[in-house]
Amino acid sequence: MNTKPFPSGLSENAVLTTRVAAGQWHALDDDLVVGRGHAEHRPDGRLFVSIDAWHDATFDRLSEAMLAELPAPLYTVVDEADIELAAGWRRAGFTVRRREWEYVVPTDPGVTGLDGVLPPSGVTIVPAGQADESLLRAVYRAIRDEVEASVGWQSMPAEVVLLHEGDTIVDPSKYAVAAAPDRYLGLIRVVSAARPRIGLLAVRSGEQRRGIARALLAHALGTLHRAGSAAAWAEIQEPDRAASALFEGMGARPMSSNLELVR
Amino acid sequence: MTKHKNVIEVEGKVVECLRSAMFTVELENGHQVLAHISGKIRKHYIKIYLGDRVLVELPPYDLTRGRIVFRYRN
Repeated sequence: MNTKPFPSGLSENAVLTTRVAAGQWHALDDDLVVGRGHAEHRPDGRLFVSIDAWHDATFDRLSEAMLAELPAPLYTVVDEADIELAAGWRRAGFTVRRREWEYVVPTDPGVTGLDGVLPPSGVTIVPAGQADESLLRAVYRAIRDEVEASVGWQSMPAEVVLLHEGDTIVDPSKYAVAAAPDRYLGLIRVVSAARPRIGLLAVRSGEQRRGIARALLAHALGTLHRAGSAAAWAEIQEPDRAASALFEGMGARPMSSNLELVR
Repeated sequence: MTKHKNVIEVEGKVVECLRSAMFTVELENGHQVLAHISGKIRKHYIKIYLGDRVLVELPPYDLTRGRIVFRYRN
């Protein structure tokens, strides 16, 4: 057990920070847990940390204890609107690595302007649940390889994080695809668990700028609209101007933002 | 793992999504608390929406605040 006392003002007793298990820390005030820290690896190998504490002093002591034991680089995620938490991580030396916006996207074709949008000649849209699974996995793998060879999955929105090696698509029925006669050119994944979310929209690099992404969106949003959903949600990495322009051009608006911090 | 006394945990429902990443959660006893999302939930990109059933951790010093530590599947 690795404990360290400090005067917290929380009680007459000193608050202790202690590592209680691999990747888990507690801040204790008179044996009561007043703060927790966690560290765990993402599938891409990066180490992410989090701290929950009711006071800045507890946060600072937990971060000090964790940073002393964990290897750099360390990553964490905060809602940009959570000023207090972001300030805590900045005090610990973390800086902004990337920003991800959450957009709300209208589905009404009268609002999006996507009414009548069709895929380019020779391309058809195959609805979710009807795609050939082997062709779907092939286009997914190709797009994944292209991303890894260019900007890297670590720069992608959180919803499309790299899966464990060997994994591809978890649920093929969630994907609609843009199909050429011999192969698939692009895909869109829409999940409607709590509310509709566009988890992934991607087109093979050699097929971009042909209107395929726009046609996939028109199809997916139109399907949601007919099913009674007025809006969908999507995450976009801040420097991705093409994606921002595509979504904002159809009336989507940024609602909140997450920061990925690194130290 | 070392066993320590934990803070109070209560089930509730998100009745309002506020600015600054805060939520109003109505607890089972009808009491409302101002809650934020735990770092562990945020780290896993779990989203909290209006109407979600959640588990809220209350601090020992101030029962008007809370931290959402779990979202139940509706």
